[in-house]
Amino acid sequence: MQPLLKVQALSKTFNVRAGLFSRKKFEVLKNISFCVGKGESIAIIGETGSGKSTLAKLLSGADSADSGQILLENNIIEDKGVRDNQCRHIRMIFQDSGASLNPGLTIGEMLDDCLQYNTGFDNTEREEKIAATLSKVGLLVDHRHYYPHMFSVGQLQRVAFARALILDPKVIVLDEALSSLDPSIRAQIVNLLLKLQRDTGLTYVMITHHLSLVRHISDHVVVLDKGEVVEYGPTEEVFQNPQSKVTQRLLSC
Amino acid sequence: MQLLDVRNLTIELRTSETVIRAVDRVSFSLKEGEVHALVGESGSGKSLIAKAIIGVLNERWDITADRIHWRGVDLMRLTPDQRRKIVSQDIAMIYQDPSRCLDPTAKIFDQIAETLPEVATKGFFLKRNRERKDRVKALIHKVGIKNHEAVLSSYPHELSEGVCQKVMIAMAIARTPKLLIADEPTTALESTTRAQVFRLLKSLNQLKNMSILMISHELEEIAHWSHGIHVLYCGQMVEAGPTEQIFKQPRHPYTQALLKSLPDYEQGLAHKEPFYALKGTIPTLQHLPIGCRLGPRCPQAQKACVITPPLTKHHGHSYACHFPLIKDMK
Repeated sequence: MQPLLKVQALSKTFNVRAGLFSRKKFEVLKNISFCVGKGESIAIIGETGSGKSTLAKLLSGADSADSGQILLENNIIEDKGVRDNQCRHIRMIFQDSGASLNPGLTIGEMLDDCLQYNTGFDNTEREEKIAATLSKVGLLVDHRHYYPHMFSVGQLQRVAFARALILDPKVIVLDEALSSLDPSIRAQIVNLLLKLQRDTGLTYVMITHHLSLVRHISDHVVVLDKGEVVEYGPTEEVFQNPQSKVTQRLLSC
Repeated sequence: MQLLDVRNLTIELRTSETVIRAVDRVSFSLKEGEVHALVGESGSGKSLIAKAIIGVLNERWDITADRIHWRGVDLMRLTPDQRRKIVSQDIAMIYQDPSRCLDPTAKIFDQIAETLPEVATKGFFLKRNRERKDRVKALIHKVGIKNHEAVLSSYPHELSEGVCQKVMIAMAIARTPKLLIADEPTTALESTTRAQVFRLLKSLNQLKNMSILMISHELEEIAHWSHGIHVLYCGQMVEAGPTEQIFKQPRHPYTQALLKSLPDYEQGLAHKEPFYALKGTIPTLQHLPIGCRLGPRCPQAQKACVITPPLTKHHGHSYACHFPLIKDMK
């Protein structure tokens, strides 16, 4: 099957403060490569500081890589730090949905902004799109007049999800979006994710440290350690028979 | 011996219009050397209970209880000074948000040194200083921080969340308390550090006979090593009992939903199959339903559920439900 998202030899370095005036290079990601098919999920696991969140930022275009390419359906969307304007195809959901929504805008205005900046829809088309997206994530159309503080945590996550979905993306990056939720709400959101994947063939890139969820949802796993891919393979295989020491240590606890 | 015995603890918040009952008559008790867990979703009053026990809630909250006995002494009847003396000596708490609970203006060394018991530092001040340094170093090694020099001389914002959490734990165990209240100690941590923290707490429990009251919203984290579990929902105790019994035979629909939302315990769930999930969301404190607070979300709810169900006891396993789930009642 033709992969939908392909990442080739992605690298990223940061300049960090070493002394009073000196700076040194710190390699966050070294030669990351993986690919995901349409309608599949890939999970990225690893310890803190292994570069998971940086990878998420690179994928969603919030940051640019030093070298390497990101390909979406065989079109290069990022090559050596130069990004094609394709942010509508890869969208991101953040860990704390309450903090990542603008408290001064209603949900409708916020979703409307996304459409205004990225599409050529006119007023009625935008209205329809917002209504359709809200009902897709299990909210009511009237919720568009609400401000973020009027929602509960589970609903906020749905709003964040609506914001990601409204541009009909092909890939959604979830950066720890599930771990801060309460168990009964998390079950609902996971069900929603799975349902949308089944219906529309969305691809998820999940970054999480909740291993039992990874096992349940994802098809492939990438294990990162200090910026390098130490293990990459189908979820069941990795979980049943971890090869590297890092993975064994992660899974054993 | 009963270490902590709480009976009918009620915590209320007075607002301009009404009185909100955030925690509704919660009772539990803890024996020496036991690990107990308070499990519940956010807003179910877990942290409030912990704060009420150590007495750090501010004036806006009304705390009433039939008794909060700490080794036979009723904490509710003591003057604030006496209470503080007992609590600071015997009870320690790990707070929820480590990087926010540490003092941002002081270095880690000073913060840990402040919590050391005074009794042990004797002698001339140079000697005292050296001793203090050694003890701080020992503490920080104990919680698994290796590069002590870098950590001790930095400010909280320079450290990662995981290290901050370990520093909090070091501060909490500095006085070797009899009871450690751990309020979601591992939410910010990834799985290897989490396992480390649990190992540390477990060894403290076994070697020092320290009791632990764990507060968490993840059942699976605490399932393996707690003696008892108390499940809270919106400030009501819905089920309490020994860990194995709760896992084997949940009686309350909410506990069952919690268990079923874990892929590990729901056997036979195929890959990518939807979980069992309760409908709706957690009600806000302003709009709590009357009677059993799970009522509107409960799949088994009936007319009787508008009356608060009493706590039923059955072989040390208590539950508050009019229509408990019965699998094989013997």
